[in-house]
Amino acid sequence: MIEVQGVSKRFGQTVALDEVSLGVEARSVLGFLGPNGAGKSTAMKIITTFLAPDAGTVRVDGLDVSEHPLEVRRKIGYMPENVPLYDDMRVHEYLAFVGASRGLSGGRLAARLEWVAEACGLVGEYKRTIRELSKGYRQRTGLAQALIHDPEILILDEPTSGLDPRQIIEIRDLIQELGRTKTIIFSTHILQEVEPVTERVAIINEGRIVADGRIGELKRRAMGGSRVIVGLAEPAADALASLRGLAGVRSVMPLTDADAPTRFELCGDGDEALDALAASLAREKGWALRELRESPFSLEDTFIALVSRDAAGAAAKRGEVRA
Amino acid sequence: MRNTGVIFRRELAAYFNSPIAYIFIIVFLVLTAGLYMTPFFLQGQADMRGFFGLLPFFLLIFIPAISMRLWAEDRRAGTFELLMTLPLRSSEVMAGKYLAALTFYLIALAGTLPIPITLAILGNPDGGAIVTGYLGAVLLGALYLSVGIFISGLVRDQITAFILGAIACFFFVGIGWVSLFIDGWIPGLGTFLDGAFGLSDHYESLMRGVLQLGDVAWFLVLSAAFLALNTYWLEGRKHG
Repeated sequence: MIEVQGVSKRFGQTVALDEVSLGVEARSVLGFLGPNGAGKSTAMKIITTFLAPDAGTVRVDGLDVSEHPLEVRRKIGYMPENVPLYDDMRVHEYLAFVGASRGLSGGRLAARLEWVAEACGLVGEYKRTIRELSKGYRQRTGLAQALIHDPEILILDEPTSGLDPRQIIEIRDLIQELGRTKTIIFSTHILQEVEPVTERVAIINEGRIVADGRIGELKRRAMGGSRVIVGLAEPAADALASLRGLAGVRSVMPLTDADAPTRFELCGDGDEALDALAASLAREKGWALRELRESPFSLEDTFIALVSRDAAGAAAKRGEVRA
Repeated sequence: MRNTGVIFRRELAAYFNSPIAYIFIIVFLVLTAGLYMTPFFLQGQADMRGFFGLLPFFLLIFIPAISMRLWAEDRRAGTFELLMTLPLRSSEVMAGKYLAALTFYLIALAGTLPIPITLAILGNPDGGAIVTGYLGAVLLGALYLSVGIFISGLVRDQITAFILGAIACFFFVGIGWVSLFIDGWIPGLGTFLDGAFGLSDHYESLMRGVLQLGDVAWFLVLSAAFLALNTYWLEGRKHG
């Protein structure tokens, strides 16, 4: 549905996007992650035709954004990071204005207005002037604006920024529900927001895509395997050495004080089942196990590993060039 | 057309949603009518030459005050990004904004109509000169607004848009004063600039009641040129 191929964009000396490629299937949700200033917003501005790429192509439903900007805009509902609201208008006037600009009128417009007000929880604020709205309702009005024409594609730039936890969950649920029928790209720098909504993420750093795939895969790839926590009932003198000796174990780190540790963190290559290996070792050595569980890598671990690896790679590359 | 209409209604409402619009109209009427009325009673002549003669200077302040917000406000509020991602052509959005500003100016100008009505009751004014004078006032506003909307697009700050707009509009008035000086510097350039961009010849003949196609065309061509530049800027901005 959305194909981004080799897109680059510079602003003066700054490279905002460096040969970015991305694809999003119809009726799927892509979480677009990256630190602030990584290029998320620039990429979204290019997909929505607000900016033109310096190089590369973007196709939306088969249409090139540079050649058919108006057709592309019709298909997309876009909520920019800086929510575009007219402070002097009332919520319903504003939504009717955007609806009319998108070609809706009469009964169809009225029906859509009713739907978005309901879906975005704006019914109570419908007649208020936008200037008077709280941050949360401003955000919802911005989302309602993007949904007014029932678009096939939604591009949401930081839709939950500045919201309280309850509001974040509401917006998240709405995105999840919309994702069943629409193609959605939403960006965020808050990682916990992604996992409940979608499996598919792309991570961007300094204008380059550093990872793109399913969250599970990325974790395995970034961290290079799995992680298991082993806790013993009694300290054992040779525990550290024996655990290190296990096949497939790459590193063992004691989690309690160093003299007589009872808890360890095992990292493995990911092919062996570390918990089974640790269990059989314990049986062999006669240790009483108090704890044995897999400790999955969090998206944070993955994210930080990918981004810092990318930064190290870039630094090394710069070093080579200098040398 | 329909798309331009949607933008036009929103922009016109924006003027009247703020108290500034009403204050603006009142100040405009008080100043123009007030400054005109004093010599009017002293001279006791039933014409509006004095009123129309002041207008090019008044509008240097009033028109940039109308046009400064046209793009600058959208760029500040982020609504610029909304407008440029709606399925509307840049020219349609621009036309809607421009026509809204022009309509607002025409409403303010219509507020001065009691002057010719008073003149008609008190004396026997030259009706033709008043009609062409008003035509000149409309064309003058249209020209200044086209410069103003273009400049509003170039800057993010409304006050900067106001000041630069006033300076740019002053060029049309001031070039006639300095053309001889420029000629002394680069022979011919001053005369050329005055001939091409000088306002006074075209405006004053309308003020005197002389309706010439060339004068009307001068206003329309220049206005259209600035609107075209504005559209060109909107298209080119994407590649910035």
